[in-house]
Amino acid sequence: MMSQDTKKPAVKTTGHSWDGIEELSNPLPMWWVWGFYITCAFAFVYWLLYPAWPIGHMYTKGVPGLNTLTYTATSVDGKETQKTTHWNMRSKFMVEMNEHKAAQKQWFDKVASMPFAEVSKDADLMQFVNSAGKTLFSDNCAPCHQAGGQGKIKFSPNLTDDHWQYGGTYEDIHTTLVGGRRGAMPSFKAVLSGEEIVQAANYVLSLSGEPHDAGAAKAGDALFHGKAGCYACHGPDAKGMTAIGSANLTDKIWLWADVQGAKTPEAKLDEVKYVLINGANNGVMPAWGARLKPEQIKLLTVYVHDSLGGGK
Amino acid sequence: MATTSVTNNEQYNYDIIRKFTIMTLVWGAVGMLVGVYIASELAFPWLNFDIPYITFGRLRPVHTGAVIFGFGGSALFATSYYVVQRTCQARLFGGNLANFTFWGWQAVIVFAALGDVLGHTQGREYAEMEWPIDLLIEVVWVAYLVIFVGTLMKRKEPHIYVANWFYLAFILATALLHTFNNLAVPVSLFSMKSYSLFSGAQDAMTQWWYGHNAVGFFLTAAFLGMMYYFVPKQAGRPVYSYRLSVLHFWALIFLYMWAGAHHLHWTAIPDWTSTLAATFSIVLLLPSWGGMVNGILTLSGAWDKMRTDPIMRFLIVSLSFYGMSTFEGPMMSLKDVNALSHYTDWTVGHVHSGALGWVAMVSFGSLYHLIPKLWNTTTYSNRLINVHFWLATIGILLYITAMWISGIMQGLMWRAFDDFGNLQYAFIESVAAAHNLYVMRAVGGLFFLSGMVIMCFNMYKTIRSGNTQQAA
Repeated sequence: MMSQDTKKPAVKTTGHSWDGIEELSNPLPMWWVWGFYITCAFAFVYWLLYPAWPIGHMYTKGVPGLNTLTYTATSVDGKETQKTTHWNMRSKFMVEMNEHKAAQKQWFDKVASMPFAEVSKDADLMQFVNSAGKTLFSDNCAPCHQAGGQGKIKFSPNLTDDHWQYGGTYEDIHTTLVGGRRGAMPSFKAVLSGEEIVQAANYVLSLSGEPHDAGAAKAGDALFHGKAGCYACHGPDAKGMTAIGSANLTDKIWLWADVQGAKTPEAKLDEVKYVLINGANNGVMPAWGARLKPEQIKLLTVYVHDSLGGGK
Repeated sequence: MATTSVTNNEQYNYDIIRKFTIMTLVWGAVGMLVGVYIASELAFPWLNFDIPYITFGRLRPVHTGAVIFGFGGSALFATSYYVVQRTCQARLFGGNLANFTFWGWQAVIVFAALGDVLGHTQGREYAEMEWPIDLLIEVVWVAYLVIFVGTLMKRKEPHIYVANWFYLAFILATALLHTFNNLAVPVSLFSMKSYSLFSGAQDAMTQWWYGHNAVGFFLTAAFLGMMYYFVPKQAGRPVYSYRLSVLHFWALIFLYMWAGAHHLHWTAIPDWTSTLAATFSIVLLLPSWGGMVNGILTLSGAWDKMRTDPIMRFLIVSLSFYGMSTFEGPMMSLKDVNALSHYTDWTVGHVHSGALGWVAMVSFGSLYHLIPKLWNTTTYSNRLINVHFWLATIGILLYITAMWISGIMQGLMWRAFDDFGNLQYAFIESVAAAHNLYVMRAVGGLFFLSGMVIMCFNMYKTIRSGNTQQAA
């Protein structure tokens, strides 16, 4: 079974054979042995530098002074103290985070102390706003408002256009960010008959020049300003009210009814009817006041207002 | 398919080996198909089709279960039953108990996959199976141990061959790991849900003590056992060094158990556990390489076989990938390297250079050797073995290259700060940047799967041409 190789007669086998397999009695390769010693030495040095061996409830912390970390710790009451410790993950994290926080601080301080409009005019500061804003926005806002803030129909408003449901001034956007918003368009299923819903929907479509039945729209006009009471929220001119976040129905911007995406007049009508029948009250913008720091919210306000779409 | 006509007075129990061999091929194809699908889901999320049962989160454990326990496990049952009988010159101990391990193990794989798809999971990586399946594994595994040790005790050889040390270490360690990692309290007798006995960082440490040593004993030690039989057998050469085999065996067994916590660097585990895990991983490098050295040097004097024998090619290339990933692993276990590599695709690439390059390749080589012997025939097509070899090798290279690039890119993007001290990239940017590499990874997986399918065809034809009469 074994090869008849006789070129290396010097190496003997161990003398056993298992199913025809024999083993040579070659010595250990020296590079292998030395490699092993070197890794052992490496491990030993690592133990001198880092916390390594447990002893009872304690552990070795490395040779004192050989691998220490110094950082500024901030306590709950804001008191800062310098700390020097043996190497450990927590302190390493603090050292690195402090470094970046220190770089950010002067810029965040400026954002916090200046009025919105002033921040907007300061070109250097706006570089910082755009840099920090992009990441803050992407990590917190983009999951709903999508990358770049273009929004998603029937889900989240587009932040890059000039339409602002709750107002597009710095103050409005800031209020929205801090306190959140909750849509509250009721269902008209119980208020209007099936025919009346069709009429109201036709009127709504007529407001932005979409294809509609003129006769039904006329009846819808009466419902809008009368029995259904739509004007109470959307205003007599149907242009919406930013104070309560009611939609402007005269522009071609839609959030809950995908009128722009619907191909046929029937489909457009169905989109509006759906909102009239079911309402549009599941839109929730969360409140960020407790989740982000005040200076981060202020910076995001400027970022959304100036860098994404431009407020009105 | 030609199966049993085995009588109990034949010298060896080959029937059980044939069964496990066929299931190795089946689970290999199934598991790798699921792997390619989930890789494609990561590149093209619409492949989820909004069906919860086939989302990445549920199919991923189906993939790992089918390839590790289905393909790898069946290959280990098959080869260990073959090797232990041949090298002990003794028929498998325990009679029908071997059949129980077969049906029990196959049931485990099927139930585990069903559980994953239906959403029953312990949430423990590579141990997702809930408690009823864990109990079945426990029973099957004890039966496996009894059969293996029983056969060793019946041996007609004065000494135990090195391959059997590795197999025995694997069986013992897996029993230990499985038991302690799955200590859990079921919500009720009729509920699939259970809660771990451990909590917090201790739970994580237990999980990775298991996870790492599953790699160490299931995917390394056991397959080294396979290597120690099939490489010298296929090469027709003696094992290079007995002394090396003893030394690296004990070093490997001793050192592996310490290293698990390197999977938890930079988390809430104590710093000292992190350091010990890193250093024992480094010290593990040369003992791991011992197996590679012994395998590759076994071929010295017969290097021409690399040109002429495609089976030898599988075996030697598997050892090269083994050497590469056991070098990469210790490097990644260093705290500073890990700070870059952790949570990135680099880890995924590393695990696949081991899983595809080492575990699958050494199994392919061994099965190509084994199957014609089990069915008293010759291989249907050596050319197809060669095609399989190249498809597999190209597939692995595409896969790990894609994951190295995307992993290192992710690591660098996540830690990049600009001059203002702001994070330079949002997380989503790193996801978008990885898209093309995810496509490349899926293509690599497709290459590997195609090779597996060709192997199934080749071996089906081989088996059809054979018979199960045992040669004396």
